[in-house]
Amino acid sequence: MIEAAELQLLDAALRRATSSSSGGALDAALAEVGWGEALQVAAEPAIRLLFAAQGEAGATSDALALVLSAGLGQSPPTAAVVLPRPGSSSPPGRLHGDRGEVRGLVTASAAAGQTLLVAAQTDEDGDVLLTLPTAQLDLRNVSGLDPALGLVEVTGDVTALASSPLALWPSALRLGRLAVGHELVGAGRAMLELARRHALDREQFGRRIAGFQAVRHRLAETLVALESAQALLDVAEVDVGEGAAAMAKAAAGRAARTASRHSQQVLAGIGFTTEHRFHLLARRVLVLDELLGSTRTLTRELGEQVLATRRLPPPVPL
Amino acid sequence: MAHLSRVKRATYDAGWMRYGWPERVGGLGGSPLLRAYLGEALTGRDLVEPGLYSMTEVLAPTMIDYARPDLAAAMVPRLLRGDETWCQGFSEPGTGSNLAALTCRAVLTDDGWRVSGQKVWTSLAQYAQRCVLLTRTGPPESAHRGITAFFVDMDSPGISVRPIETMHGLEEFCEVFFDDVLVPDERRLGDPGQGWAVAMDLLPYERSTSLWHRGAFLQQRLQTAVSEADEGSFDPMALGEAVQLLASFRARSRATQHRLDRGERLGAETSIDKVLVATSEQVVFDLIAEAMAATLVAGDDAPAARWRSEYLYSRAATIYGGTAEIQRNIIARRLLDLGGDA
Repeated sequence: MIEAAELQLLDAALRRATSSSSGGALDAALAEVGWGEALQVAAEPAIRLLFAAQGEAGATSDALALVLSAGLGQSPPTAAVVLPRPGSSSPPGRLHGDRGEVRGLVTASAAAGQTLLVAAQTDEDGDVLLTLPTAQLDLRNVSGLDPALGLVEVTGDVTALASSPLALWPSALRLGRLAVGHELVGAGRAMLELARRHALDREQFGRRIAGFQAVRHRLAETLVALESAQALLDVAEVDVGEGAAAMAKAAAGRAARTASRHSQQVLAGIGFTTEHRFHLLARRVLVLDELLGSTRTLTRELGEQVLATRRLPPPVPL
Repeated sequence: MAHLSRVKRATYDAGWMRYGWPERVGGLGGSPLLRAYLGEALTGRDLVEPGLYSMTEVLAPTMIDYARPDLAAAMVPRLLRGDETWCQGFSEPGTGSNLAALTCRAVLTDDGWRVSGQKVWTSLAQYAQRCVLLTRTGPPESAHRGITAFFVDMDSPGISVRPIETMHGLEEFCEVFFDDVLVPDERRLGDPGQGWAVAMDLLPYERSTSLWHRGAFLQQRLQTAVSEADEGSFDPMALGEAVQLLASFRARSRATQHRLDRGERLGAETSIDKVLVATSEQVVFDLIAEAMAATLVAGDDAPAARWRSEYLYSRAATIYGGTAEIQRNIIARRLLDLGGDA
């Protein structure tokens, strides 16, 4: 466990790190702060504090890969882990006998390393964890919608694999979804704050546009969406079932899209330019929503599960 | 109403209804979380209708905070035990959400206060023995400073009640007319001119425990619909979204219940809870109305009538207790610091 006072210090250190650095510099700052150790001692609070701050700052880091590797039982956690490709929440590897296929994403620093860890589904023996030489895989720098993320696509057909059994994919997925969920809500809060400031500064027809009810209600609606997702994330921190994190991730994706839509409309022209920071957050949110299960797929899966069992998921106890 | 009284009586006699209320008003003490638990147990098992049941959560705290101690000690147990129903006389024909403009007048005379005026949308007034009433005691321009609250006996001479039939088929709301009604000064809640504070303190209660109960009710109704509906009736995507929305309201309200338990003062942030529960209620019943369209449209048995009534009542969720627009105004002004809207 970790003391409340320590968490406060960690929070302050993470806010400083994420607001002043990104990418490799942020990874170095996180190592200095000891975030990886915090992740091992108290995964959920460490995830909440970093990813909320990272989302608000629009920063990037290797932290999501560290979270997945910690969830997969790696100690100390390593960034050299392959994430599922966008739109998927299945393990990025697939084994048929001794032949395998890998399709996923890694961060730039992981792509530069010698080996990569790949969680893989097998035909009959459950999941396994593979250690693959990076040189055996095809790498492609992903520019895509959000080039700042610096992701690298990993694909490849591989044979003769060394592997160990793995039962931890669901718990790794749960932690990863909490992380992306917090980052989505953080990015949503940053967009809301940009729009809020703009509404207070911008004058039209002799008054601040914050005085127009159409503007106020868009921003109010955004806050409601973000706080409802936040509440689900907070519950999913203590409810360790897979369902709670999936629901929180879906709600976070929806809330961040709501924040993006309303904030951009309030920012109007300036929010459509690259001179304003907004577009960076809008791009980030769209990519994050596709990682580890999108709002769309998670929501449909939940509905199908309820219909198959004819039972709503058990409500969180008071 | 008789059924509600029976349930309240039984739970009071068993002690459950007394937990979470202070001992000086007939309670057994303990955390207010216990009230949320009990309400969830009753609404979740379909034993009570949450709107009627939860009136206690709104009016009892007002009495405890603002009535003279002997009055609160005498009256609150009657409400908890189901001996009495109380109503809340706030809205007027000319003032719905703009409470500061209310005009129902109370004038101090040698005998006590004389009240004249009209209230509207007063829930359950035709069944109520008492009314928590807001009146204008200052000059008309005194706005929120010139309001005083009273605890009025509904059988006082000069009070007449006219129920309003609503589209969901029940007479839930009433118009209440006050014609020179005498109210003793001992029935004043708070100081003269303090009525605004009474009302403002009551509103967060309206958006905390009672909303938790409503969330449990919605969960139970959606579960029933999912259990009963024909194969293929629900669109999985829409159902998934409704389940997520209900869960997010519950998660939000859960945090609010725990803040109440820690003795924190609830305020404008409960408007988020209210927006979420109202949105959930309409999403849930829109979904049910689609999935069970034939039942809703053409069913004439008792369950069909109930689904229809509940669906129609859900249309009011974004209107009563402060409209969705009023809640968003509060969020914009108080939580987002966007200043006034002029």
